[in-house]
Amino acid sequence: MTASCSFGEVMINALARTVEDGTLVFHGYGSPLVQIALHVAKRTHAPNMVLVAGATYGINPRPPFLTPTSNDWVLDRGAECALDIEELFDLGASGRMGRMFLSGLQIDRWGNANVTMLGNREMKLKLPGGGGGCNLSCDAQRVTLWTTAHRCEPAPRERRRYRLVERCDFVTSFGHRTADGRTRADLGHRGHGPQWLVTDLGVFDFNEEGCLRLRQLYPDTTIEEISENTGFEFAVADDLSTAPLPDPDVVSTIRGLDPLGIHLKELRPHDRERRFTVRQHEAVEAS
Amino acid sequence: MNDMSMPFTANDKRVDLDGLVAHVSDGDCLAVGGGLSSRVPMAAVRAILRRGVRGLKVVGSAHGIDIDLLCGGGAVAASAESYVGFEQDFGMAPNYRRACEAGEVKVEDSCCYTVVQQLRAAISGLPFLPVRSIRGSDIARLNPDYKLMTCPFTGEELTLVPALAPDVAILHAQYGDMHGNLRIEGPPVVDLLFARASRKVLATVEKLVSTERLKELGGANVPYFYVTAVTEEEMGAHPTACYPFYAYDRAHTALYYQAAKAGPEAFRERYLAPFVFDCPGHAAYLDRIGGAAVRARLSSWNEGTAAWQRLYAEGIS
Repeated sequence: MTASCSFGEVMINALARTVEDGTLVFHGYGSPLVQIALHVAKRTHAPNMVLVAGATYGINPRPPFLTPTSNDWVLDRGAECALDIEELFDLGASGRMGRMFLSGLQIDRWGNANVTMLGNREMKLKLPGGGGGCNLSCDAQRVTLWTTAHRCEPAPRERRRYRLVERCDFVTSFGHRTADGRTRADLGHRGHGPQWLVTDLGVFDFNEEGCLRLRQLYPDTTIEEISENTGFEFAVADDLSTAPLPDPDVVSTIRGLDPLGIHLKELRPHDRERRFTVRQHEAVEAS
Repeated sequence: MNDMSMPFTANDKRVDLDGLVAHVSDGDCLAVGGGLSSRVPMAAVRAILRRGVRGLKVVGSAHGIDIDLLCGGGAVAASAESYVGFEQDFGMAPNYRRACEAGEVKVEDSCCYTVVQQLRAAISGLPFLPVRSIRGSDIARLNPDYKLMTCPFTGEELTLVPALAPDVAILHAQYGDMHGNLRIEGPPVVDLLFARASRKVLATVEKLVSTERLKELGGANVPYFYVTAVTEEEMGAHPTACYPFYAYDRAHTALYYQAAKAGPEAFRERYLAPFVFDCPGHAAYLDRIGGAAVRARLSSWNEGTAAWQRLYAEGIS
């Protein structure tokens, strides 16, 4: 018996697997993939997670569907209780937030990320800004980074605009070390920094120095393809594997949570077409 | 904080919308309440633009159409928001981006906890509060008024962020009374801190009720003496949501976004003129957006999940 799943569902599954049970986890706003991933984790391996919804700060909500914006009463329906903004960030500052999810238009090998502006000497593009990401990148115990645009738009190598860059034009959220080599330990931050980076091409972790390392491919990606689309050289884990595909019940949970397909807005057209065949918990590549 | 004129003790603080925004002056530091697509005081924002206010410094956390509209109308000189955008719904904020990139709006991006600590410093009568985070990021580069200090107790290095007392906060609450007590339902975002920290608090409310009725509804969460003036404006948060009265108007926001994205001239013609400057007041705006029919559509969320979902289903791609 076979069934098929989408790339979005594979990525949600990979994000969900970075969550530990029994921890307080916050998903921020403007991130439907992460939002769904936390609900998947809560319904599977992490039933005791304290799920804090971005923008509404509702705790353990059961939204009837996902909306295209994050501060909507739809999204805190069924919440057991709610935090206010100072309480949420105080929990982070005092070291009691287990995990936060962050993204960036630029991400470097140390997990620094930029959502503030592009351009080195002068601003070329003003991005929306990081919300509370700057604070939580320092304070949350662990961080999962993600991006849906690791794959570059086609261009010759010298003009290619990388998402994974040698150096961020601006560091909005802090990773494992600054451009001048200061580490989290030097700065005395309470959080341990980025632990995972989940992209449209693969799953990375960070080695002991805090540097990106490729851990998992997808059934339809290769190391060469990832190298081609990354602005720096990265290490590859000895035990490189293929990211597991979601169980059928995870797939149906995702579809039930997001009947409007809001998470597809986060994916580029090419990635919306990627399909995988799930054969009774065993993955086989499709086109 | 000696120049605060709080407490505001008048028994009857009711004014009309123009009277409310008459309290906003050129060059003010302005905190806009609500957040993203919910409970943003949009009627007051449009009235501020009609008043022709210039040179505002906007401060706060997660914002979208409000700050973008103020930028598009030329009212903003500096932004210390932590986020200005339309999330995955429409993406980047076109007027805000253009104004920042052209240098018309000085970029002083903040981050949420930093804003919280700055407001709490003002509320506590302190000159600053420390945060451990930020160091390692470039946010301080945009905020030269942050300082570093070595903690005299532990020897740790900390960032000090200065007290922030906005000149004016504009808030939209579901309910209020004529004395100025406000009842905000659902996520308060930063509104309660804005109310306590700002020199003046200008409120629009969806429904003005008696103090007794307000208590029956569950009571105020902004005490009257912080509030300078109050105006009743139905659908005063449109096109953002003000539950339980109405949901987010995604169709109107799409119209806004397309006009803004098409450039400054298109934005003036297709949005600023018809929806802001050619409307003498909020009643004319409500007629312009479609009046009672729009209100009926947006309040249909209450009929059940299917009806609620339909409000978002159109045009999602």
